[in-house]
Amino acid sequence: MTDLAPLSPFDASPAAVGRIVRREPVDWTGIAFLTGLAVVVLLPLIVTAVWAFAEIWRFPAIVPQRMGLGYWQDTLSRNDVWQALWLSLSLTTTVTVISAAICFPAAYAFARLDFPGRNLLFLAFLSVQAFPKFGLIVATATIFLTLHLVGTFWGVVLIQLVGTLLYMIWIPVSAFQGVDRRLEEAARDVGAGPMRVFWFITLPQALPTLFAALLITFVSTFYETDAAWLIGLPNVRTMPMVMISFINNALEVQYGAVLFVFLWVPSFVLMLAARRVMGADAFAKGLGG
Amino acid sequence: MVTVSHPRAEGGRLSGLLLVALPVVLLIWLVLWPVLQAFVGTLYFPGKGFSAASYVYFFSDAYSLRNLWLTLWVTALTSALRVAFAMPIAIYLRFRKGSIAAFVQSLALFPMFVPSVLVAYAFIRVLGPNGIIDTLLVAVHLPKLPSPYLAPAGPIIGLVWEGLPLTLLLLLSGLGRVSTASVEAARDLGAKGWTIFTRIILPRIQSSIIVALAFNVLGLFSAFTLPYLLGPASPEMMGPYMQRTFSDNADPLNATTQAVITFAFCAAFGVIYVRAIAKGRKGPA
Repeated sequence: MTDLAPLSPFDASPAAVGRIVRREPVDWTGIAFLTGLAVVVLLPLIVTAVWAFAEIWRFPAIVPQRMGLGYWQDTLSRNDVWQALWLSLSLTTTVTVISAAICFPAAYAFARLDFPGRNLLFLAFLSVQAFPKFGLIVATATIFLTLHLVGTFWGVVLIQLVGTLLYMIWIPVSAFQGVDRRLEEAARDVGAGPMRVFWFITLPQALPTLFAALLITFVSTFYETDAAWLIGLPNVRTMPMVMISFINNALEVQYGAVLFVFLWVPSFVLMLAARRVMGADAFAKGLGG
Repeated sequence: MVTVSHPRAEGGRLSGLLLVALPVVLLIWLVLWPVLQAFVGTLYFPGKGFSAASYVYFFSDAYSLRNLWLTLWVTALTSALRVAFAMPIAIYLRFRKGSIAAFVQSLALFPMFVPSVLVAYAFIRVLGPNGIIDTLLVAVHLPKLPSPYLAPAGPIIGLVWEGLPLTLLLLLSGLGRVSTASVEAARDLGAKGWTIFTRIILPRIQSSIIVALAFNVLGLFSAFTLPYLLGPASPEMMGPYMQRTFSDNADPLNATTQAVITFAFCAAFGVIYVRAIAKGRKGPA
């Protein structure tokens, strides 16, 4: 890699490529993995995407008998779909905004301030991970029963909010720790007040990671099923719940497939953006790798 | 490195506590309190005193025990399969660079970006009755396979698929600790692939494998969406069982009892996992 850099692209081609080929023979293992993964990972998604555009696809034809956008119109004119979409978007926005408002300042404090009980409190947030998630939701749901929060919008907001706490604190903690202190000191030396330093020096450096945390929270909350199911139903029907009812009630296969494509593509783009900012390493570190 | 002192440490004491107060309150109210309440509320009944009746019921009820057993072996098998599938990919990615390796990595991490509801839906289209697998088998004049959909194999396949990326990332970060030099030295001495794996690589990534297993067990033991959508109705895994007990049977006491039992079974893994993350992060300092 590095020894190629000084060469101009002109003389890089024959000689250098020959050298690379000699050093790295055809990567058959890689090609085998690639083929296997392509089938296993992509096949389910491709089949579903084809279903979304299939108007008639009767077994045992390998390809649909008729393709078209007919089911898009049918699906997207359903009332329950739009109701669930708006509900999910407002739910998700509420959760993400509240989560950012309470977690980002906390992350800053954990990263930069020294206060009594700091390590203990941080460990308390980690310890949530020691419990199987659905068990926790059931335990919380029992409390929500007595508070009459089951089946309400705010009940779902609260339980999903708890689910976001961890990542909305962890990821920003590393962002605030990564801020270059020397820049802050320099700004302070030339007379900037603490708020000014935070606003113009600290925040801009942490911003991309904070933004990534927001995106991850938004997308994962949108698709959250466990808590929405147990706490939300039957009154609060989020988008994944509509999807599940399409699966269970075995309506037209295509309804689910259309929603799949319609919902997943935007979320995939958002998650890709988040990962670009954070990198795979950060994900693994957060998990304890 | 010159350590930077905390210039405003004094003023930070109170403001630090204030800044973390709200999430801490939420954590206490919606996690710690429910857990405590779950333990106490299933054992102590105001006015009636202590009673372990709901636990006695669970462990004497044949159906509950079958659900627990199903959960145990599905969890064990799925965790093992995730590690078994992720390991060769991780080793390949650790020692190979280049565009093919980059593609392999992107593909292997891809399932991370597919929410479980969508995974379930896609797998029904592939493995369900008259799904694409059946279609392809019939096309080449082979008999249809018994569909794994609504059988224990259904959620296992879905869960392995869904959990592959995170297991892979955990193993990869462990493999980062294996030096290329040590592997090459062993190879120069004539060690073959399997020997290198068991003698050089495995001992160095043991802790990562344990963390990956613990992480998987915690996630799988109370998995809900995929077992519910892809799995059998009876016996069912603990996730769907708890949901049905809570919502359909409107029986929070027994649902909470089941939750406490899942906590108990996962406790050891929880401790292993939290210790590993706490160590890896060395606290917030």
